[in-house]
Amino acid sequence: MTDHDHKKTARKTAPSTADHRLHIDQLSVLRGMVLVIHNLSHRQSAGDICCLTGPNGAGKSTLLRTIAGRLPAAGGDISCAAPIIYVGHTDGLSGAISGRENLAGWAKINGFSTTETAIDTALSSFATSRFADLPVRVLSRGQRRRLALARLALSPADSLWLLDEPNAGLDQASSRILDDIAQKHAMAGGMVLAATHLDFAAAAKPGSLHLPGLVT
Amino acid sequence: MKPFFAQIERDLLIAWQNRQDLGVVLVFFVIIIALFPLAIGANAPVLDPLGVPVIWIAALLAILAGFDRLFAQDVRDGWLDQIALSQLGLGWYALAKAISHWITAGLPLLIMTPLMAMMLNIPLQQWPPLLVALLIGSMELTLLGVIGAALAEGARRGTALMALLILPLAVPLLIFGTLASQSDRGIISPHLMLLGAVFALLLALAPLVAASALEIGETETGL
Repeated sequence: MTDHDHKKTARKTAPSTADHRLHIDQLSVLRGMVLVIHNLSHRQSAGDICCLTGPNGAGKSTLLRTIAGRLPAAGGDISCAAPIIYVGHTDGLSGAISGRENLAGWAKINGFSTTETAIDTALSSFATSRFADLPVRVLSRGQRRRLALARLALSPADSLWLLDEPNAGLDQASSRILDDIAQKHAMAGGMVLAATHLDFAAAAKPGSLHLPGLVT
Repeated sequence: MKPFFAQIERDLLIAWQNRQDLGVVLVFFVIIIALFPLAIGANAPVLDPLGVPVIWIAALLAILAGFDRLFAQDVRDGWLDQIALSQLGLGWYALAKAISHWITAGLPLLIMTPLMAMMLNIPLQQWPPLLVALLIGSMELTLLGVIGAALAEGARRGTALMALLILPLAVPLLIFGTLASQSDRGIISPHLMLLGAVFALLLALAPLVAASALEIGETETGL
């Protein structure tokens, strides 16, 4: 089972190899009757950016959802000593209300800062201020994606970001912003685990975790 | 408590943006009630004893009709993933959903009830027990509906499945509710107390049942 352990004892600002905040040991995950992830082990410490690669159906999304506690593990252990922020395939935005209302509601249910300035800063991080007050249903795919990613700016510094295809549908400028934000987050002692086919945080030295996909 | 109220606030905001949906439940309620005198004929001796049961059955159907997609939108939007990771948790989320749904569907119905009571010629001294019983009854039906919607979430033909699951469970409410509404011993009748006891039970159990149903539904059929 995922252990959402929010202990903040081992917080460090500099990357350290000894201090692993995310442990995955011998993890196996079943989807339906298919073993999608088999005996996967992975370590990540504060300041690490890790790209999760692999062909379609290799279990990238499954792994992220399992770490987020949304899927049960069939075997093995996951422990994460950091708050988890998950941006999945679906953006988690309601089409009926505005991006600003969506973001403020999300901040409130997580107990993050909901001051006017905090929300404004988060919205401007992905240059969404111009369309943040429109109902989300009128926005394009990429604009919704940017609103979903604007959450990252509100997250605690030591959190683990689980990003599922974060730059799918993003324009080049927004992809660069994402690279930038991810690196700043890592520098501040956070962790990023991103499933992606595209270049991500290319300027950094991202570690990578490759899922080969099962040959059956 | 702040995340809890934030969820209610969010649901009410969304409901306000989709407010034409609220009218549907209300119109449904009025039409069911209006159909009875039309079918039976304006034969007062037959209609009189039917007034209270007709209001109860209409309330039951109207409240449950509004339920089919209670969680579906949040699941599709990915909001449920965010809830599961947040401080709120699925149990409080289900309770918040019940409260916001009652405010948007149960409360307007209750406000409409005196008008319906007048239309069905229910004597004035029966209004207080009817309204009090219907107040508790509508909250109970909402909690039952939350269980049903959570269980049927993700299933094909979810609406039909939900009706099959919930309508049998609503039978005790209907029995206690109609008896309490027709009490000739004032508002606080034994039947109202039984209705209250069922409410206490549902209030404690429904969020837990709904939360585990949502959890299982997600892991078995998820994306």
